[in-house]
Amino acid sequence: MHPREGWSEGGIRRRPSWEEAAISRRSLLAGAAGLALGGLLASGCSTTNPAAAASVPPLPRTDRPVKWPVYADNKPIASGLEPEKGATLQLYNWVAYINEAVIKSFCKKYDCKYALTTFNTIEEALAKLTTGELKFDVFFPTVPVLGQMIAQKLIRPLNHSYIPNIANVWADYRDPGHPFYDQDWQYTTPYSIYTTGMAWRKDKVNLTPSWDMPWQASAYAGKVAVLDDYRETISLALMKAGNFDLNTTDPTQIQAAGRALQQLSSLTNVRIDNNDYTDVPDGKTWVHHAWSGDMATAADYLAKGTSINDIGYWFPANHKGPVANDLMVNLTGGSNPVLAHLFINYMLDVNNALNNYSYVGYMQPLTEVTPAKLTKEQLLPPQLASTVVLPDYFRNGVFQLELPPAADALWESTWNTFSKGL
Amino acid sequence: MSAINDTRDRRNRALWIGLALPGAIWLLVLLVAPFYVMLAVAGGGVNEFFQTVVPIWNPLHWSSWNFSAVWHDIFGRGSFIGPPALRTLIYTAIATLLCLGISYPVAYFVSRYAGRRKTLFLVLLIAPFWVSYMMRMLAWIDLLQQGGFLNSAMSAIGLPGNTDWLGGKSVTVILGLVYGYIPYVILVLFAFLDRIDQSLLEAARDLGLSKWQTFWHVTLRLSKPALIAGTFITALPMLGDYFTNQLLSGAPGTTMIGNAIEGQLDSPGEVGQGAVLALMLLVVLLIPMIYYVISTARASMENA
Repeated sequence: MHPREGWSEGGIRRRPSWEEAAISRRSLLAGAAGLALGGLLASGCSTTNPAAAASVPPLPRTDRPVKWPVYADNKPIASGLEPEKGATLQLYNWVAYINEAVIKSFCKKYDCKYALTTFNTIEEALAKLTTGELKFDVFFPTVPVLGQMIAQKLIRPLNHSYIPNIANVWADYRDPGHPFYDQDWQYTTPYSIYTTGMAWRKDKVNLTPSWDMPWQASAYAGKVAVLDDYRETISLALMKAGNFDLNTTDPTQIQAAGRALQQLSSLTNVRIDNNDYTDVPDGKTWVHHAWSGDMATAADYLAKGTSINDIGYWFPANHKGPVANDLMVNLTGGSNPVLAHLFINYMLDVNNALNNYSYVGYMQPLTEVTPAKLTKEQLLPPQLASTVVLPDYFRNGVFQLELPPAADALWESTWNTFSKGL
Repeated sequence: MSAINDTRDRRNRALWIGLALPGAIWLLVLLVAPFYVMLAVAGGGVNEFFQTVVPIWNPLHWSSWNFSAVWHDIFGRGSFIGPPALRTLIYTAIATLLCLGISYPVAYFVSRYAGRRKTLFLVLLIAPFWVSYMMRMLAWIDLLQQGGFLNSAMSAIGLPGNTDWLGGKSVTVILGLVYGYIPYVILVLFAFLDRIDQSLLEAARDLGLSKWQTFWHVTLRLSKPALIAGTFITALPMLGDYFTNQLLSGAPGTTMIGNAIEGQLDSPGEVGQGAVLALMLLVVLLIPMIYYVISTARASMENA
């Protein structure tokens, strides 16, 4: 259908990292028998992935946008339908990623009940969804898994007539041919948007923030941390070297980034965690590779004697840095498609979005959600206005998108070598 | 007569089966079933669309796909399991020795010299279990951080009080392990030492041994099974521990095999490899466990 990279109808996808090493099956069996696993292996029939037989959807890029097919057996719902009566709206979201007060007010308006189920990682969520046992109406996926979900017909295309609030969203998400990952937003609307930058303690650290900041921070060894995310942190090392292709498949670049991270480890004894939002305000970490939405809530975790003036969040002035947004979709497995559309519309209302922001800290890309508005409504301290994402960031930002499997395996093995330490 | 005996036998058998049933169900549901799921994941594949695990339930269809990937992680180009495995062994060995060294005098004191206050000491020894392991480790973060209690105490007595204990130090991880598992060792040692027959010690003294000789030749020899049990009860969970490390360090330079497994579980498409690593850890742990079972069985036969 789309003869783009990695897309081959009925082709077989493999993870070639270890296959490249060309280990023979015999040496494998002999060695593993020594590890008392021989019995298990003897029953094995293949050294290739037994579940690999799927076709691979195209990989959207900012310069290669994708318009997904709409399948004959998975059409949008008809216009003008009444919302389901006496229904329970089933939501499937990340942990602590939606304000339940907003869901409650939606259910009051449309006279329905709701059930919110949460997940911790997108892999966990997909593993459960693909069993087909779960009947969720609205799901909040990431961009990289979108193509796969559409190809498996897990997502229902949207009927735009139910979602007039799309007018509140940045033009970058609704103009014809936009966004690049789902042209003409056939299947998705944006949920929250965030940047990846650098959080630091202004009262402790005398450095100018940049992508190189952790490497400059050898005087603060033990107080430096990077995110526990293989894409984000290898990307950090790529950007430090001036490389902004964060979906690179070039082994030399990836391996150089891995070496830079090992160097960072010996310079600063860097820690790996996602506790940016607590560890910076409470002083455990002074320089932390961080997510904007996490840092927006930093004021809630200040240690005694620490002022919000001491907390900084940096995203480059030219807005060239990692930007990502999550999505809202209507799942085909759900039994309340009309309510699901209405809910997506409800979340794109400015007041509801702000109510949600007050709990989550991650903002939605709505035109009226500006730094001035958020500080005026006292939802964000002005000192952390840099955590707010603007349309310009989305246009100039760089996206970490799904990689072809061979490259992905190389990213993962580079990450393993760094994060497990030598 | 025989009919009455028969019914009594039957009733007894029913009673024993009834008593064993809850334990058997417990084992089946919480040990055997999860273990089989782990095997099915290790022998399964990866959904190429979503990088999620596809367990294979029929053992005849198990594949060595994940096993060969782990083989590569250990021995192939870009292998990364070596350093954490080595660190795991070193940390566990040091922490276990420290545990035994600290626990023995404590257990000895409580069993021999606590007298009427024995119950009080026992309660105090069990007290740490009233607080969850996670809370106890989180408490250490407050104690160890810069400006925390330990650093203040150190500067108060003239030592350098600005050590960044939480900045990825091996010594912090080892001390965390010791702190986390030491109550188990003390309890095991106490249970054994408390059962040592006083008349044996009296006999040794009557036959002319000094206090130290009695301790060396009688008490310590008799507590050998306790020391072995204490070693296993701490070393086995330490070998798979990842949480202590994550909270007290989090730096690549201190990762242990438990962290490597946890990392695999968090990586798309590598959950099966995590299952294989966990199985391998289990196989490695089985060897000392079997030794322990045999040695205790032999000891109890000798006693009989």
